[in-house]
Amino acid sequence: MRRQVPLALCFVFGVVMVLIEFSPHPYSKFLYNEVINWSLIITPFALVLGVATLVQTHWIRIRRRAEYWQYSFVVFIGMIVMVTIGIPFGPSHKAFAWLFKYIQTPMDATMFSLLAFFIASASYRAFRARTLEATLLLVAALIVMIGNAPIGDLIWNKIMPFGENLPSTARQWILENPNLSSRRGVILGVSLGVISQSIRIILGIERSYLGGGD
Amino acid sequence: MLKQIMQIDRRIIFILVALAVIIPTLLKVSFPITISEPTRKLYDYIEDLPSGSTVLIAFDYGPSSMAELQPMGTAFLRHCFQKKIRVIGMTLVTEGATLGYETMQEAAKTTGAIDGVDYVYLGFRPGTIQVMLGMGTTINNIFESDYKEKPLAEIPMMEGIKNYDQIDLILDLASSSTTEAWITYINTRYNQKIAAGVTGVIISQMYPYLQTEQLIGLMSGLLGAAEYETLIETPAKATKRMSVQSFVHLLVFGLVILGNVAFFIQKRENENV
Repeated sequence: MRRQVPLALCFVFGVVMVLIEFSPHPYSKFLYNEVINWSLIITPFALVLGVATLVQTHWIRIRRRAEYWQYSFVVFIGMIVMVTIGIPFGPSHKAFAWLFKYIQTPMDATMFSLLAFFIASASYRAFRARTLEATLLLVAALIVMIGNAPIGDLIWNKIMPFGENLPSTARQWILENPNLSSRRGVILGVSLGVISQSIRIILGIERSYLGGGD
Repeated sequence: MLKQIMQIDRRIIFILVALAVIIPTLLKVSFPITISEPTRKLYDYIEDLPSGSTVLIAFDYGPSSMAELQPMGTAFLRHCFQKKIRVIGMTLVTEGATLGYETMQEAAKTTGAIDGVDYVYLGFRPGTIQVMLGMGTTINNIFESDYKEKPLAEIPMMEGIKNYDQIDLILDLASSSTTEAWITYINTRYNQKIAAGVTGVIISQMYPYLQTEQLIGLMSGLLGAAEYETLIETPAKATKRMSVQSFVHLLVFGLVILGNVAFFIQKRENENV
């Protein structure tokens, strides 16, 4: 029963939701809206599950004195402070907004900013024209990169008597032609994969989402 | 010598990157911005909208992407407020709630737009796709009140706005896959016009949708924001930051070329030996 009921529910809802897409009947619209409402109610429970998992993971790290276990206290302090202010007063409260703006935002932005340094270093070391494919990739990347900065056009226009704004034009051409064609192929492949996987789930062939092995 | 160039200490590269950021910031240099077609299309669409139209802007990003996306939001909002186009703000990302609110407040302050009359900020609701689909039936069903807990029924601007039928455009400012979800679920089902402003790293994913006109316009990274600022003739943060980005790109460009020249010379020497 523990497996049959979820499988049956998945089959019924899967088939019904597909049929609803092709029916303009008022009952079908009513059912569609109801299912959306149900899923809206269910979704916040995922947040609860996320918080519970986070607490559990860091609690275990502290108990086992895992490497850098002290940082798990920072997670708890941060969570408790934000929740203590956020739940009773709401996210628009001045204190919550202050914590977000002056603590979370700079920390998050700083972590991301470090990428610029590592990308510069990594591209210098690893970006080599070793093969034909790597050379094509390298040339395309350099054109897109320099076309993405106004200084590219400026330098080109100053030193070359032809092809005004060529770097940005070339960048646009790469994005609109080779990039677009390959992306479309990827999208079509992924979409076909999603359709086949959905059919497998609806028919109960794919059961890994139930957990606990087969 | 070649070996030294090939094995340059990464701390030297870090210092060069830092200098490429600090020097243009201090010198306040600026470069002319070339407007790309996707950004112009978005600008033209807003220009053609009559005053009193409504657009929805989704601030689907967190602090890590705000350097690129916040200037886009500000420039777009300024344009809308100057044109007397009403704006509904919201987010599908938890961290986007405060960022979206700040951006709307900043743009409103500089243009004199009034909260509840010219714009409404709804904040965040969990459940990305369900929220999108639910708003297609009634916005009020998903967001009963705005970010400051004021019921939507009491907000003058929301009078007559029930769902996507009354919205002329959705602009998604995104650092992840939310734009694709807006296109898949809302453009396809409701025939809703969608535009996007996305970070530089995901820009390549958007071009197939631009060609099929599932996206009516697109701002790409900080450059897109600078282009929009140029179009509305209000150079601001993005235009200033583009000079920094220019120097860093030029530095990386130079480093890659240098690395490859050294690589080829060394390769030839090894072959001769």
